[in-house]
Amino acid sequence: MQETNAINRRTFVSYTAATAGVLALAGCADTDGTDTDDTDTDDTAEDDLETMPEFLEVEDPPDAVYVPTHREAMRMLEPVEAGDMMVAPMLSYPHPFWIVAGTGADSLERTDPEDDRGVHMMFTVWDRETGVVLPVDDGAQIQVERDGESVGSPVSPWTMISQEMGFHFGDNVSLPEDGTYTVEVTLPPLSTRTTGDLEGRLEESATATFEFTYDDEFRHEVVGGVEYFDEDIWGERGALEPMDHGEHGHGDDGHDHGDHDDHGDHEEGHNHDHEDHDDHADHDGHDDEHDHDDGHDHGDHDEHDHHAVPYSALPEIDAYPGTILVDPEEGDVPDVTEDLPESGDARFLATVLESDHRLAEAEAYLLVSPRTPYNRVPLADMSMTATVERDGEVLEESALEQTIDGTYDLHYGASVPELEAGDTVTIETETPPQVARHQGYETAFLEMPLLELQVPEQ
Amino acid sequence: MTLPDQSALSRRDYIRALVAVGGASALSACLDAVGSDDGPDVPSGTDNPASLPDRQHAWNDALARDDDGNVQLPDHHVLVALSLETEVDDEARETTEQALRTLERAYEWGHEGLVFTIGYTPAYFDRFEASPAEVDLPEPEPLADDETPEYDEFDALLHLASDHPSVVLEAEAGLFGERDRVNGLEVETDLTGVFDRLDDRRRTGFIGEGLPAEHTDVSGVPDAVPEDAPFFMGFRAGFTDSQATEDRVTIEDGPFAGGTTQHISSMAINLTQWFDQENHYQRVSKLFSPEHADEELTGSVGEALGASSGLTTDRIEATEVDAREGGVVGHAQKAARAREDGQPLLLRRDFNTVDGDQPGLHFLALQRGIDHFVRVREAMNGDDLDVATANNGILHYLFVDRRGNYLIPPRPLRALPSADPTS
Repeated sequence: MQETNAINRRTFVSYTAATAGVLALAGCADTDGTDTDDTDTDDTAEDDLETMPEFLEVEDPPDAVYVPTHREAMRMLEPVEAGDMMVAPMLSYPHPFWIVAGTGADSLERTDPEDDRGVHMMFTVWDRETGVVLPVDDGAQIQVERDGESVGSPVSPWTMISQEMGFHFGDNVSLPEDGTYTVEVTLPPLSTRTTGDLEGRLEESATATFEFTYDDEFRHEVVGGVEYFDEDIWGERGALEPMDHGEHGHGDDGHDHGDHDDHGDHEEGHNHDHEDHDDHADHDGHDDEHDHDDGHDHGDHDEHDHHAVPYSALPEIDAYPGTILVDPEEGDVPDVTEDLPESGDARFLATVLESDHRLAEAEAYLLVSPRTPYNRVPLADMSMTATVERDGEVLEESALEQTIDGTYDLHYGASVPELEAGDTVTIETETPPQVARHQGYETAFLEMPLLELQVPEQ
Repeated sequence: MTLPDQSALSRRDYIRALVAVGGASALSACLDAVGSDDGPDVPSGTDNPASLPDRQHAWNDALARDDDGNVQLPDHHVLVALSLETEVDDEARETTEQALRTLERAYEWGHEGLVFTIGYTPAYFDRFEASPAEVDLPEPEPLADDETPEYDEFDALLHLASDHPSVVLEAEAGLFGERDRVNGLEVETDLTGVFDRLDDRRRTGFIGEGLPAEHTDVSGVPDAVPEDAPFFMGFRAGFTDSQATEDRVTIEDGPFAGGTTQHISSMAINLTQWFDQENHYQRVSKLFSPEHADEELTGSVGEALGASSGLTTDRIEATEVDAREGGVVGHAQKAARAREDGQPLLLRRDFNTVDGDQPGLHFLALQRGIDHFVRVREAMNGDDLDVATANNGILHYLFVDRRGNYLIPPRPLRALPSADPTS
């Protein structure tokens, strides 16, 4: 009974099967590899609930995006202005995450909170004019203060990706005691190449300040709000849906998460019963805020004050002009990101824009937009080289430059010769995304083999 | 200033805190703490201060070296900010010179005694409506996109250094009329009336094996700082082959030949991320180079490197490729790109601090002209490198909040020099 109590204390959705529907999974390609081994749930010290819930892990997760053990709860604060940008702070409880520095075996490090008293502090930054989320590390800084005194050292938060929050800046921040804290965020000039409506903008440093209160009520909300999933689905390939679907799109309809219902239709030979995921009837109503109705009644979100916070989803395939490159084996352009060519479980949208497109100069422009498979979160700080070949001869080898565009957001681009049907473009990933990861992303996008793409027959 | 609470601190931290507070009462508390009314047995200085080298910054011959031949700086440092209280005239110059000579008479020039310099800011030279002749000494400015530092705009700065905390305290107290005798020698002339101390600009720090790990009770200093690390970031620095020689940083021409310039940047360091979140491999990659990490060249605190930072021409030239293909570049490899004919441009005499009760660094560097410092800093910024900021050396962990440029004149001109002493 001990176990049952532990579960209830942590608002386990249920410990029986048939509740997978509550997960509102954004894609679920595979049920293999689910590990239901002996992850104990009953050895938790009760007082952990106060400040930091138990971090349950998946044993032997796939080298791919996978369903984590839980949905993190968080408090979203009112977005604040920072020059031409907006900063949307989000606070959760301190929890482990993984940082990436380099390419070797030791380049991934799990980092655990130093202190269970504190918060996992996150914020998303976007350009107010275009709504584009700025998903790169140009050196943001934060300083936490209390009563005018610094609390701890200044911090450069990590760039991170999470299934729920998408791209954000974040770190665990220890807080010595309950109280009201002030956080000053400093955003340096954007040094990443910008194009389109962002060109020549965001070149000034900007600051923003926000406040929050760390107290019992906060802990109740975020620690008590953690939602643990049925162990049967931990480690399945798939991802949680974004926690907040901003109406703040990129001018495309890519935010229609109803798309994800369709995953079952993309037959990849998996015998997975997707109907489970559509079945919300079993949701036992622990928390209506988490009722991710696949129909996405955005009206729901009006209950929260944070409907204007954009999620860093890149546009869907049909929003990109030019000639979309395809998997030579397939030959067709898929409808959804999940079916795009992949390397390291990242999906690669690559398109060749003719010389008359604004992004192209004298030659054509190769736009490569790697993203997470289900939520289309941009993968920043990669380095890639594209090799263009025709009839086995190399026409061009170009380093792709990280770029943020006012319409297409993060991508990597280079000038290439005008291409013809049948030409191949091989993408070599020299450095995988150098961004920290929340659970569910830490095993993906690390080993990224060569990816061969082809200009399709028109 | 209130003295620190002895009962709440380790002995080393208490003494460190006393040095940070400064003044006569801190000095007497320090002497109590080291267990002797008279303080440690400190060797006296020279009866003939004129016998000391003409270069104020000629410290190396007087300092100890480690087993690998690397120069060891004294353990305790104080930077005393000074504001001129009087007209610059012969009388003020004489007072200044005599006060400084008192220190040279009182303390042996070295670890057991005292080494020091006095330097002057561009703001000091403004009163002459000229920059110091034939010296590159611009006003300080931001040297990276992500910083908005304050500037040292007072007139002058004393850098006092000794292995004995009581010596730096006593020397300072003696210069400002808080102590009648320094190391037993009567203080006949002090700086009172010429200079005022700016207490809120006073900075302090320490260096040396084990000292950083003594400070783990300061907020922001993790327990993971290695026991034998001489610097907060956990590794040795100041390897002979990555330091400029004193000759290399000495001004060669003009009235200030024999002097040098000094840049001091003060910064906070986030050690929590550095030690608690990253692994040793990542730290070595970011501080030295990815190859240092792959080939395990450093040992746990850099001891395996001996007298060489291990920056071969190949490793320096690999910086761009390491950025692009490895996703990480090392701070040392990146900054070494600024070397001239393979020779480092800077002589670092930096030290760690817990001023403001958080871990930091007072990065004090000597170079022939400030432009050399700027060149190294630009190489360190690595704006040309295709690498995430978090993996661009150690920029992610450093937060510069103050910069200052100084001329350290040659000793014969150290007392209130004019902008062109030959005219």
